[in-house]
Amino acid sequence: MVEKNTLSSIEKIKVKSDGLRGTILESLDNSLTGAIAEDDTALIKFHGMYQQDDRDRREERAEKKLERLFSFMIRLRLPGGYITSDQWIAMHHIAGDNTTGVIKITTRQTIQLHGLLKSRIRPTIKQFSEVKLDSIATCGDINRNVTCSSHPKESPIHEEIFGYAKKISEYLMPKTKGYYEIWLDQEKIVDKKEEEDPLYQNRYLPRKFKIAIAIPPNNDVDVFSNDLGLIAIIENEKLVGFNIAVGGGLSTTPGNSETYARLGTVLGFVAGEENTLKAIYEVITVQRDFGNRSDRKLARVKYTIDKLGVENFKAEVEKRLGFKLEPSRPYSFTTRTDHYGWHQNFDGKWYFTAFIENGRVLDEGQLKLKSALLEIAHTKKVVFRFTSNQNIIIGDILPEDKELINTLILKYDLNTHITGASVLRKNAMACVSLPTCPLALAEAQRYLPSLLTKIEAILQKHQLENEQIITRMTGCPNGCARSHLSEIGFIGTGIGRYNLMIGGDHQGYRLNKIYKENLDEAAILSELEDLFVSFKNTRNNNESFGDFTFRKYV
Amino acid sequence: MLENNKLKIFLDLINNSTKEEVIWLNGYLNGIVSNNQIEEKQTPPKGNLKKVTIAYGTETGNSKKVATDFAARAKSHGIHAKVQSLEQYKLTDLIKEEYFLTVISTHGDGEPPAAAKKFYDHVLRTSSKMDHLKYSVLALGDTSYPLFCKAGEDVDEQFNKLGAKRIAPLQKCDIDYDSEVSNWFEQILIALNGQNGNNASTIKQAPSKKIVGKKTYKGNIIAHVNLNDRGSNKETFHIEIESSDAQYLPGDSLGIIPWNDEALVKKIIELSSIDGKMNIEYKNELISIQELLKRKLNILYLPERVVKKYADIVKQDIPETKMDLLDLLKIYPVKDPDQFLQVVMILENIAPRLYSIASSPVAHEGEIHITVARNSFTIDNQLKFGLGSNYLSEFKKGEIDFYLHPNNNFRLPEEDKNMIMIGPGTGIAPFRSFLAERDACGATGKNWLFFGEQHFTTDFLYQTEIQNWMETGVLTKITTAFSRDQQEKIYVQHRMMENKREIFEWLETGSYFYICGTKDPMSKDVENTLLKIIMEVGSRSEKDAVAYLDSLKEDGRYVLDVY
Repeated sequence: MVEKNTLSSIEKIKVKSDGLRGTILESLDNSLTGAIAEDDTALIKFHGMYQQDDRDRREERAEKKLERLFSFMIRLRLPGGYITSDQWIAMHHIAGDNTTGVIKITTRQTIQLHGLLKSRIRPTIKQFSEVKLDSIATCGDINRNVTCSSHPKESPIHEEIFGYAKKISEYLMPKTKGYYEIWLDQEKIVDKKEEEDPLYQNRYLPRKFKIAIAIPPNNDVDVFSNDLGLIAIIENEKLVGFNIAVGGGLSTTPGNSETYARLGTVLGFVAGEENTLKAIYEVITVQRDFGNRSDRKLARVKYTIDKLGVENFKAEVEKRLGFKLEPSRPYSFTTRTDHYGWHQNFDGKWYFTAFIENGRVLDEGQLKLKSALLEIAHTKKVVFRFTSNQNIIIGDILPEDKELINTLILKYDLNTHITGASVLRKNAMACVSLPTCPLALAEAQRYLPSLLTKIEAILQKHQLENEQIITRMTGCPNGCARSHLSEIGFIGTGIGRYNLMIGGDHQGYRLNKIYKENLDEAAILSELEDLFVSFKNTRNNNESFGDFTFRKYV
Repeated sequence: MLENNKLKIFLDLINNSTKEEVIWLNGYLNGIVSNNQIEEKQTPPKGNLKKVTIAYGTETGNSKKVATDFAARAKSHGIHAKVQSLEQYKLTDLIKEEYFLTVISTHGDGEPPAAAKKFYDHVLRTSSKMDHLKYSVLALGDTSYPLFCKAGEDVDEQFNKLGAKRIAPLQKCDIDYDSEVSNWFEQILIALNGQNGNNASTIKQAPSKKIVGKKTYKGNIIAHVNLNDRGSNKETFHIEIESSDAQYLPGDSLGIIPWNDEALVKKIIELSSIDGKMNIEYKNELISIQELLKRKLNILYLPERVVKKYADIVKQDIPETKMDLLDLLKIYPVKDPDQFLQVVMILENIAPRLYSIASSPVAHEGEIHITVARNSFTIDNQLKFGLGSNYLSEFKKGEIDFYLHPNNNFRLPEEDKNMIMIGPGTGIAPFRSFLAERDACGATGKNWLFFGEQHFTTDFLYQTEIQNWMETGVLTKITTAFSRDQQEKIYVQHRMMENKREIFEWLETGSYFYICGTKDPMSKDVENTLLKIIMEVGSRSEKDAVAYLDSLKEDGRYVLDVY
């Protein structure tokens, strides 16, 4: 790894940004363009937004002498993916009034809205603020939304563990008041001492930082794909602490062989809230001080830990902590999938997990997901939790309210939408990709549903339709939908072309590998059919598709 | 023989010369005389103290130019002609006039220019005798309109009725008027000089020379783009016409004669049971009924005068109101094809449509660009389109006929002068021309553009070009108003108020102020706002603000191209 000494341009922008303010206010005032100044596009990420443009419309708009159709994606900070019914109602209307109207559940348990025009950002953030929602630090080189195993039936102490997600999120918030000044018209801070930030200083992190908490046996959060993963260790129905895994990250850069996907390494175990928070904090300070600030492609923790060596990295963390991590405790994951339909938790509350293909909540054709959730929210008898598989759990329903909610679920066919979807489809995910993602090389969420229909037919032909196979597609190798952690992975290489990845396991312990490169749809289908036939004929007892292909082909 | 001063110079020259020099002068003069090199200089008649006023009523500045040209010509003939705008003309002065020359243009359906409306109405209403007055009228117009030079005709006829003496017949002129104008000048000058003005009525009432007509051009449409994005309520087409021979200046307009909708013509032909392919002679041209109805004759919203003639032909009582030919035929059918032919003969020409040119002859050499908003409206729940804008909206490629309509009022100032341009909607067109021209010529004056439309995302006409002009500094400032991007409607005049200090400062330092776009309400709102700014920032009374604006007008620094 060759490290240049010069700071990357983003580093310079961060340092001189005056607490992430930059010239965002001036950019908002510029009525000549729907975009913001280039430096500000780096800063606005820390406020939870990406500037994007509709790539489908570039050519046509250029001919019309109109600039690109710029808009912003705004992502909420929802630790553990929790939202009240009042918040859902507010978001429903904000999405309709100010954005495309589609409420997108992300793979990290939060919500993002697309198509937000520059002039509508302020009103949107204000409306969110009224229901105590914010978008602070949901993008950018900083700790992002903290995820947590979502289904309350996983453990009697789910609520306690979920509480950590919120605490960690707040503990790692930046100290700058820029967000409140710019978007919520709060008074300018005079004494900048209030903003001093011992964790992020004025340079923030070298790159994004993701934290997830998994509650075994479900690894729905894909804990090893995170920069820092916490695995809850429960003994005698009590939370005793967490195993800490560091250095996960799936994104790679096309054509850059120095980049790679990596799963987190478990460094050890830590007990108690205070020590857990401290350990997280110091992992971050080590990354802050040792991470690569000249090449952003090599700046995630995974490169830092490999550069220092796992033991050295751990030693540096322990030095800063002033105590040693305990040896990691045993744990076991058996699944990563959601518990669809009705389930009850340990104290008797009911939960209904609805299937939301690719996390897109909208009214489309017969399926009126958005209307359904709005009407359910209006009962005020529910809360909502988003899952890392982009589904939604309608939850905290008291036994006496279950019938009422079930009536609405039946009214909108949310149940038949689950049973009507194939096993394959319910285990599938895709990232946003075209037309808004600037990194996209190929389609993903707009294409996967139709590709799945064709794969379903092949599975059926070979009587494999009930196999639990995890399929994930991303429009580029950055892995937003964690395609590196799937049994069938599609990674876009160009329009209509994908690398076919196989050999990942079902639980998320093992990355997949490239099997065939640059396939078009016909080639994808014929390669898969060959694999399915081989799987059917030569699999071991109860062997999953991922394990089978790993054994035979990878 | 020689005038006193000339005699003095001559005698001085001789008295101060040597003998040899005088002999040389003698020979030199002889040589000139024998070689016939002396130009017949017209001798200004001595003591020609006729009181001559030439008054103009102008919309686009052409009449003004003609009037001032005349005054210059007259001066070289020793005649002093006072040039006056009809807008400022005191009507009570008419009785004091001796020779009164009127240059007046006609617009739309036979209307005088807005600036001459008061004068026109007064003259047509008055019954005071004007036998003292000697007059002539030069009428500017466009032969493509049915009521060609109507305002001029009316004034000429009315003066005659009131007993005034016509010193030269009414001269009507089309867009290209140079030869007709000089013909009229000649006649007037002869009348003023030769006849001493006493027996003007004896002047031979020669019919005015046949009008040469305007030059029409053919151009190829090479680009045709709807500038509004999907989801807009508007359709505004940017049309580029390739034409190497059409010469124009920024500020000029382009005229086209739209064709009627083919399906509509077909219906009319069916209703009248005439053979559409039958050729008839129309204005010295053999043309089929079908083509005639499609390309030449107005069949929409026939004016009352045509409806009246129609009623005479079909011998029915028809209310005098504007009607489409199709509706007339449906409700008051013609009895046979022959009767329909009579109807064809009373139909008027399709009036041309004028569009402010959006290109610069320097920056877009060999091309003319226009910006056309498709005008749509609903009648009886039916979506309808304006004839001209719809014709151009559908004219995606191919050869198109057009002519040029100069607009001498609406010109770029000197290159170092600053300008404020208010151009919402298609009002942006001439300013695109101005800015492109200034860019190409490297003009140093500052430029401030106000643009407005409904929505930023879909309706920002020429956005990327404007962005480039901001980046390169051609535009000093751009102020936008998107009326429907927020709950309360925001228009350009609101933005003007927000910038009132700066606007007034620009005016105070000599800036020109241009408005282009819809006359009502935009240009009126903008003018009222400007007056308000002059009052508020310039601490002036309403009366003084109006005077301030008037002086801007007089200096040519407050200029409108509105429709």
